[in-house]
Amino acid sequence: MLRSDQIIATVEMIQKENLDVRTVTMGINLLDCRGESVQSTCENIKKRINTLAGNFVPTCDAISRKYGIPVVNKRISVTPIAFVGAGFKRDGFISIAKSLDEAATDIGIDILGGFSAQLEKGMTATDREFIAALPEAIAETDKICASVNIATTQKGINMDALAMMGTTIKELAERTADSGGFGAAKFVVFCNQPGDNPFMAGAIHGLEEADAVLNVGVSGPGVIARSLERLIDNHPENGTLQLDELAEEIKQTTFRVTRCGELIGRAVSKSLGIEFGVVDLSLAPTPTIGDSVGEIFKILGVDAVGAPGSTAILAMLNDAVKKGGIFASKTVGGLSGAFIPVMEDAVLAEAVGNGSLCIEKLEAMTCVCSVGLDMVAIPGSVDSDTISAIIADEMALGMVNSKTTAARLIPVPGKEAGEHVSFGGLFGASPIIEVKNAGQSGRFISWGGRIPAPIHSFKN
Amino acid sequence: MIISVMSKDRPGIIASITGAIFKLNGDVADLNQSVLCNYLSMILSVSFPENVNKEDLIAAISHIETECRFEVSIKEISPEEEKVQPPEETYIMTVQGPNRGGLVHGISQFCYDYNINILDLVTTLKDDQYTMALQLDLKNCTVSLKQIQEALEEYSKQSGQNVMMQHSDIFQVTNEVTFH
Repeated sequence: MLRSDQIIATVEMIQKENLDVRTVTMGINLLDCRGESVQSTCENIKKRINTLAGNFVPTCDAISRKYGIPVVNKRISVTPIAFVGAGFKRDGFISIAKSLDEAATDIGIDILGGFSAQLEKGMTATDREFIAALPEAIAETDKICASVNIATTQKGINMDALAMMGTTIKELAERTADSGGFGAAKFVVFCNQPGDNPFMAGAIHGLEEADAVLNVGVSGPGVIARSLERLIDNHPENGTLQLDELAEEIKQTTFRVTRCGELIGRAVSKSLGIEFGVVDLSLAPTPTIGDSVGEIFKILGVDAVGAPGSTAILAMLNDAVKKGGIFASKTVGGLSGAFIPVMEDAVLAEAVGNGSLCIEKLEAMTCVCSVGLDMVAIPGSVDSDTISAIIADEMALGMVNSKTTAARLIPVPGKEAGEHVSFGGLFGASPIIEVKNAGQSGRFISWGGRIPAPIHSFKN
Repeated sequence: MIISVMSKDRPGIIASITGAIFKLNGDVADLNQSVLCNYLSMILSVSFPENVNKEDLIAAISHIETECRFEVSIKEISPEEEKVQPPEETYIMTVQGPNRGGLVHGISQFCYDYNINILDLVTTLKDDQYTMALQLDLKNCTVSLKQIQEALEEYSKQSGQNVMMQHSDIFQVTNEVTFH
């Protein structure tokens, strides 16, 4: 039998420290669902999702009960819809979005991702129809998340598509003005978007994937925070604890967290007869108190999130999470790193409110962690070119550093910096962040064309 | 044969007992021992050639020169009884709370009420906090896992103890390097 101290440590991790499996996401290929008409395509899509994922939610719940670990979200990602609907017009894409929404409701999941396009180099006529459909498709559905990949390290940044993103996001927010622009929270723009990421809003089932796979997203910033506090409080020699020991603690804790995710994911995969894909080892916060990435910054030594040192702390945290998780799992993929989604993290949101965290510091921090400017509420008055230009900066970071970056900005209609917006549930709440120099980037965005790929992408 | 030995602890008990077994050409298949309050208790599963019986073994152990007496009991078991199938699914239950009388009885009675077999039980008392870790076999449990969890929540509330039960795989994967 295991030692009782090991047993108690594991019990504490689950019971007191918010350990959970953040998401089990089933990726489903829809390419062969294409029919002769929009209607037949929609029917094929619904049938495919129902066939593969009909038992998905009850299976996850049963496994979760068996192991005594909550599986917080059960979700679906699909083949980027711009590929599935090639040749369809704007209305056709809106119909597909509504069918996906119905399928998601039928099988009892809360979010379905993959209303997406890959535009990193050029845009087809279909891609333009897809982008035109995007605001209405997302505003008119409840459970659909959208994303576009607009840049890669290999191909550069598609600035024509990027120029359209500012207006798309503004329109999406305005169409959902009643709920504070919530529609924009369901749309994310990527550089180097992975095809096996289980986290929303950016989950897609990449073209390189098999017919169906199960990807698991593990999280647990609360577990990391509590283990660091324990190490600091119980350290026998006062004043001798150093950062490398703290990094080691993060690494070991991540190992345990990842193991739980892999165990649950493989059990669900076996039970459904669907191939296991990857574990995404991300530190994704939720608005729940004690489940915050921002809190870890404070434990690691800055009194305000965003103070000098914050970027270095995040770099260490991100690296330690990857190191612990990679050894724990047979297959690692997705985004795998720390997230800093402002609205979804109570401590980060508070830091925006008290002025210690500004958008420029957030951007700097995204150089050393996963994702990017995520769930950042900005004033509704910020013009679309400025929004595009903020995204362009974020894309450039990803492109040059050969990493994933993303932008999920919410221009809250009718509200200005310092005012508050709340979406409730996992999407959280935060004060609106100030955007300096708005209206100063129009000439840059109007050039269009492409920003060429960086020299270090030419590795052949 | 299943052999149980209890004695005041000292160096050389296992050497003496297994020495007597070895002289009778016995083969020790499994051995489990524990020391509590300076007393050693040991249980062994041993196979002997057909011509060796229980009395031979008692005689061999009684010839061991020792300053403290061995309390020995021996049970001869059939080959069928020896073939114990390991349980397919084991669960770990932990019970934590302030120390008081009847804690072990309370939780073990709970397990018995639902026909849950306790495979292993370890307890620790530290700073007046009593902790029990039980390894359980739910194979013949009379109700569903969901009902057990609900009953445990109720037990937890009524007893003022913090009770958790989880599949043992969770503990294995978080504490061992090999993924089973």
